[in-house]
Amino acid sequence: MVSFDVVAEAGEARRGQLQINDRTLETPHLFPVINFYGGGNEGALFGGGVHRTVKEFLAHDNEVTGGEDYSDLFHGVMTSISSLADYGIREKKLEWYLNNEIREWDCFSDYDGMIFADSGGYKILKQGGLEGKDFEKDIDQDKALDIQLALGPDIVVNLDHPIHPDDEFEERIEKMEQTAANAARFAERRDEVDGACYLTVHGYYEAMLERSFDLIEDELAEPIPEAFDGIALGSLVPRKDNVEVLVEAVSDCKREMQQRGYDELPLHVLGISGNAMPLLVAVGADTFDSASYLHQAINGKYCVNLFETVPIDEANFDSCECRVCNDDFHRARMRNEMEDLYQKDILGSVAAHNLAVQQRELRKFRQLIAEGDKERVAEYLEEAVKDQKGFRKFAYQLINERINPYFEETDTTYA
Amino acid sequence: MHKTPQVNEVNEFIEIASDFEDPLEVIREALSNSYDADATQVDINIEQDEEGRNTLVIEDDGHGMDEDDLSSFFDLGNSNKDDAIGYKGHGTKIYYKSDEIRVETVKDGTRIESVMNQPWAKLNNRELPTYSIEKTDTDEPSRTRIEVHGFRAGQGFDPQKLTYNKIEHYIKWKTIGGSTAWHFTDDFHRMDITVELSSTIDDTRDQIQTDNRLEFSPENRDPDGELVAEMMCKHYPPRELTVALDDGRELTIEVVGMVGGKEARNELPTYGKHSAQFGIWLAKDHIKVERYNDAIGADNEFFHFFFVANCQELELSANREKIRNKSGDVYQAITDELDRFMTKVCQDSWYQKYIERRKLEDKKRSIRSQESTLEERRQRTEEQGGLSPSNSAEVIAMLERYSANGAPETIKIADFQMDDEVNAILDTEGELENASLQVKLSDFFEDETPLNHIDRFVCWKLGDLDSLSQVERSPYMGKPIRFDFQENVIRYGGENPRTIPVLELAEKVS
Repeated sequence: MVSFDVVAEAGEARRGQLQINDRTLETPHLFPVINFYGGGNEGALFGGGVHRTVKEFLAHDNEVTGGEDYSDLFHGVMTSISSLADYGIREKKLEWYLNNEIREWDCFSDYDGMIFADSGGYKILKQGGLEGKDFEKDIDQDKALDIQLALGPDIVVNLDHPIHPDDEFEERIEKMEQTAANAARFAERRDEVDGACYLTVHGYYEAMLERSFDLIEDELAEPIPEAFDGIALGSLVPRKDNVEVLVEAVSDCKREMQQRGYDELPLHVLGISGNAMPLLVAVGADTFDSASYLHQAINGKYCVNLFETVPIDEANFDSCECRVCNDDFHRARMRNEMEDLYQKDILGSVAAHNLAVQQRELRKFRQLIAEGDKERVAEYLEEAVKDQKGFRKFAYQLINERINPYFEETDTTYA
Repeated sequence: MHKTPQVNEVNEFIEIASDFEDPLEVIREALSNSYDADATQVDINIEQDEEGRNTLVIEDDGHGMDEDDLSSFFDLGNSNKDDAIGYKGHGTKIYYKSDEIRVETVKDGTRIESVMNQPWAKLNNRELPTYSIEKTDTDEPSRTRIEVHGFRAGQGFDPQKLTYNKIEHYIKWKTIGGSTAWHFTDDFHRMDITVELSSTIDDTRDQIQTDNRLEFSPENRDPDGELVAEMMCKHYPPRELTVALDDGRELTIEVVGMVGGKEARNELPTYGKHSAQFGIWLAKDHIKVERYNDAIGADNEFFHFFFVANCQELELSANREKIRNKSGDVYQAITDELDRFMTKVCQDSWYQKYIERRKLEDKKRSIRSQESTLEERRQRTEEQGGLSPSNSAEVIAMLERYSANGAPETIKIADFQMDDEVNAILDTEGELENASLQVKLSDFFEDETPLNHIDRFVCWKLGDLDSLSQVERSPYMGKPIRFDFQENVIRYGGENPRTIPVLELAEKVS
């Protein structure tokens, strides 16, 4: 059973509840990317360095969490089938991994958040398939779905062929047609999925998105809302630093969805998080996924807020409200003041903090949307970008055009 | 033992009086003083006698001066005006640059007449000038009249340079006469201003009559017509921006302004070039001091904007031309908030449309100019009787024409890269050749381009044969070179030179 209910709106931002079987997710939500399988064995939570430490947070390993419960950071997580072979594993191990669904392993049996299994289109198509130490597997839509289903996911998405800003027109059309064909095949196997099926669309502006939707509709035997439970907007990662493009893409995708009557479906933005998130929520995005919290930690960066990072040794834990930073155990870890710490232990706590910062912003945003006052949303956005010189014009533009014009047409009389 | 530091009073007077650079600052100081005295009318008269001596007469209907006020008027740094423009007690010292100062003022039934003789001469003679005081009872209403005789103001008061237009623009741009206070404060009071110049200075018009309100050019948000963007103008209504400092203090910035095209801006009484006048002005007492155009950001051109941002927390230099507390947190907070405010203005949909319209009109102008250029080109083509290549694309066209019209060999362009040394790959009867296509062969050698990869030259004309002959006289890129135009080849190299054929099209294509 899958449902998505919008419980409050403020301007174009919406707060929703995504219900999949007996799990519920409050949106807007960020799915942190988790590599459940990192080459290791079950005793080591299948390994993966910092990835492993993050899994230990998710799986309540008290030695890593310091006894605190951090499950609120992981109400819904994203994992990609392309990451299965990241660590050069042998085919036998891959088969062993896929023998059990994620929650069937003892170590993850308590995990009750949603698992979004991505097809990993970008990486798989770039590599030409899934490649391990002693195997190479061509991946098509059917094979991708088989692997996704083997993970025991709550949400699955079709294998897509992401476009790139530098693609020639013909190249882009070919990719879109391939994605559309995959979507059609994916829809045929809809009944095998005990959860939500998301459809990927691609494009940076309205005409491109219109084509993406058209090609998919032409391939499908039934209307999109009957075959799919959500829309996932992809191909934005190469433009992740251009917030103007991101806002245009999400907002044009919403417009297409409205015009085609799928506005009740949740909209997921693939691979994007961080500073663009508030603006994308303000134009109607519901969920996000990203590994940026982890990559920042791996690069030694501690998030001060959605916009700024500092090297870990310059972090001021006192000015952070997150539970990680207010726990002496994690402070000691992040400062490398405990004995026998591995880098993954230090960086794992930093990653948890970085994720907490992003989740905190979305939590604030959910509360604001619940108040239903778009002006409060505008105030929040203004405050968030207050000191971000290069970024704030995009936020102001969005507020001015879509929430509350700064200079009303009638506001011209002088005192 | 304790010692008290001494002040050289004469030097200080000279220093402060000399700090005023623009002689018109005397008008600014007079207007500020009258405004501080709650005057509703101030009249300024400037005369010049035959010897070129200036006399300034300033009269206002303000609350006048008592003996203490008069002391402040003549003293240095002894203002009794706490919350006024002239709180420093520096401004009136500009009058010291004169031969005589006469003050006649009425306050609360007492008239005081005061005279200071030769203030500037005495100061320069290391002597502190004194002033007389004569008091009488009167039933006149309060007023003040100040006469400054022989004002030594330098070239600014030169009759050749002093005009009504110049003074009027100065008043509106640099003094309380160009105040934006009327948009904001409840305690604003209107003050009418007249300025009269003697006919020896400017007899071209009647006296200036204005008041202390700066008015923006009329709004013209969406004019009709084809090329009208320069006339467009929008007012941005007054806003009070509040900023909290780290120490808990709150600053208020009062900002008001307009955006407009050149024609709209020309309706303002500017005092200088547009590039030096427009943008974002920081102001104190609603009098503009310095611009802070960084607030507009690199994406936008500052001269479309005319905003005045007033903050009473700004600290000014003695002559009010500069902001002194730029390194402090107050200035930082003001400019940060202005950055934010102006970013919002730049996102305003009218502004975006204005910029779009400007671009569109620029394109239209460019098309018009192209049309006239096109006309000239057609005329030139007719005159020369057809194509005469002046660029490599036209050489290609000629080559195609040559091949299609019974040439001994069929040469086709297989590939073309405009800026490469081998700019063309030719398909000559199925064989690929690296070629250099040139309008004139001589151009190639003027650029000293290497010949290493060139199998053939195709040119419209050989060009400057003298310059080619000159090239032959010394090694070209280290090797001997010969142009053999009998055989239509270039021989390049020492003992066994390479032979590079040259196809000159002009002779072969009619």
